[in-house]
Amino acid sequence: MRTKENMFRLFGVMLVLSLVVAACGSAATPAAESADEEPSAEEQSAAEEPAASEPVAISYWHTMSDPETAQLENVIATFEDANPGIAIEPTRFAYDDFKPALLTAIAGGEAPDTARLDIAWVSEFANQGALMQLDTTMADYAAIAAGTFPGPLSTNFWDGHYYGLPQNTNTQVLLWNEEAFAAGDVDAPPTTMEEFADVACALSDADNEQYGYALGGTYFWAPAPIFYAMGGQVVDADITTATGYVNGPESVAAFTLLDDLYAQGCISPNLLGGGVGTADGHATGMYAMIIDGPWMVDIYAGNYPDFNVNFVTIPTGSDGTTSSVVGGEDVVVFVGTEEVEAALTWAAYLLSEEAQLMMAEVGVIPTLSSLIGNANLPDYFDVFLRQLETAQARVPHPSWGDMDGAINNAFQRMLRDEQTPQEALDQAADEINALLNQ
Amino acid sequence: MLSMRLRRIRNSHQLATAALFILPGLLLFVTFVIGPLIYSFQISFYDWNIVHPETSEWEGLQNYLGAIQDPVFRRAVVNTLVYTLVTVPGQMVLGLIVAILLNQQIKGRALFRVVYYLPVITSWVIVSLLFEYLFSGQAGLVNYILRDVLHLIDKNIRWLADPILAFVPIHLLGIWKGIGWTAIIFLAGLQVIPEHLYEAAEVDGADPLQRFVHITVPLLRPTIVFLLVVLTIGGLNAYISNLLITNGGDPMDLTHFVLTLMYEATFTRLDFGMGSAISYLLTFFVFAISIFQIRLLRQTTEY
Repeated sequence: MRTKENMFRLFGVMLVLSLVVAACGSAATPAAESADEEPSAEEQSAAEEPAASEPVAISYWHTMSDPETAQLENVIATFEDANPGIAIEPTRFAYDDFKPALLTAIAGGEAPDTARLDIAWVSEFANQGALMQLDTTMADYAAIAAGTFPGPLSTNFWDGHYYGLPQNTNTQVLLWNEEAFAAGDVDAPPTTMEEFADVACALSDADNEQYGYALGGTYFWAPAPIFYAMGGQVVDADITTATGYVNGPESVAAFTLLDDLYAQGCISPNLLGGGVGTADGHATGMYAMIIDGPWMVDIYAGNYPDFNVNFVTIPTGSDGTTSSVVGGEDVVVFVGTEEVEAALTWAAYLLSEEAQLMMAEVGVIPTLSSLIGNANLPDYFDVFLRQLETAQARVPHPSWGDMDGAINNAFQRMLRDEQTPQEALDQAADEINALLNQ
Repeated sequence: MLSMRLRRIRNSHQLATAALFILPGLLLFVTFVIGPLIYSFQISFYDWNIVHPETSEWEGLQNYLGAIQDPVFRRAVVNTLVYTLVTVPGQMVLGLIVAILLNQQIKGRALFRVVYYLPVITSWVIVSLLFEYLFSGQAGLVNYILRDVLHLIDKNIRWLADPILAFVPIHLLGIWKGIGWTAIIFLAGLQVIPEHLYEAAEVDGADPLQRFVHITVPLLRPTIVFLLVVLTIGGLNAYISNLLITNGGDPMDLTHFVLTLMYEATFTRLDFGMGSAISYLLTFFVFAISIFQIRLLRQTTEY
């Protein structure tokens, strides 16, 4: 009996001990966090020592493609030659893993110094307090920002401050398959939305899985170019209400066009899930038209080297205006970086003409207005740069992900004939208003 | 008296030695399992700020109530329960049949055992992508066979675009991938049943079905209980196949499992409090159902 008791007692002591050790180990508990904020004497003296021989290491996380990652190495080499005291340590992530990886790193106190974030995430991370205000810490921020396109720059703004710099931008344009057009006796890509609808149906044969137009899914990015081109808006300019915007007449007209085309078998059903992807379907002639970005050049060069990619601007809406959706990434600096100056130097360098032109060689569209018309840019950038003049950014709001979900579900409900476009978008407006009022 | 004291000394000596061996493992377990468990339990009561945890707001049971009232969560619970109710019996019945076949003196027995076990060791990611391709609405092998080979359908079935049909590949995958492991466990159970019981029954004139019902099943009872509990826990924790085949909840958040919803709440919507609450709701449920199963199937009869 005694032994058994002793054993329990010992086990209990060990458990308590281990818990204490574990609690000390997890730096993220509120108590431990506040203790961390006061640097110890040892850390302070270390920070005061001049960086003599060892260069300062700056981590940089990104989600670049293969050719972009290879070119980034050259950009880093050029930067390090000019700044011998700084060494850049890039880490590449898959897009889908990137947000979880960043969050776990931030929670564990291991956030990178700098990163290239999707423009749609900056306000969200800024709202969490993870990003440095660049307009108050970077000496030449105003000058650098003034040289960039306003659309991409606006994605860095949240709650009165700028939290990043637009590193690269992109938008979506119409891709049309010459052979599919020739086979259907259509001479030229459509220039208006009426023509677009006619062509999409003329080139469709649903029984044989042949479609005039295909979208990658029902998430907002897919219908966004047509939505904006036809004058659609998600919320008002001050981001206070969705009523009269996402369910306004222009927005409803845009979704009605898509809903009708789908009902007539002129849009591939792959957008509801489980079909042939738009990139493959377009190159093989299954989808005569898709709407996509500049990276398609590299994707097709790798997977369909014989395929001839044709870009043209998004067809115009009834009032003759064209538009599309702005995509891209912003470079940000994380709160907690120990080498603020070096991190800011690196972020500023990524916005230099030198770095922007190097990345442009592999299909990355620069954000500096001074580079428009630059002879070193690839020819196919023209159509994207023209489209960017009118393209619009999605709502820069921390709850954008949920707003996207509301529109996505509304689109699904109309495609499935559960609601009319007006009913579906009325519901989406209510859901978005609830998010704005949180 | 003396001998007792001696024994106690020897025992405490042994205890100290044992403790030294246990301590490193226990430390790791507490640091990486118990610690995070307690931490996430704490998070589940807050509107948690991952960057500045000290600014997190106490919300009491709000996250738990919010989850229970959310139609998407309720649907996910139903989906998870249906998945468990379909795949657990599916794996057990087919696994038992395979085990009985593999227990016979057949040619190439080792080969068959390897073949049936192969799905178990293949990666969930790879086979999920494979099933997604098989059930593609436009270019999938299943539609091709149904439409062009067997002429059973006129139009391609849009499997993954339908909130009910999307579960066909997910359920089939769950069963197919689990048969091998279930069969191996059943096989181990079958091999401990003494041969003379069957011989005696045969002498008494019992036919194969009677022998199965009155000898095999009762003697497999511990194995069945073990499999039922483990497979149920596995079914309620299903995650990867759904995440890859339906992107979690496509279409319209109707195909979520509890865990894909937990992942989405935590890492897509950054609502760590809600994510933790969902995972604790699942934990309580799994715990309760496991105890219920073990109680229900516990019996004291000795054979």
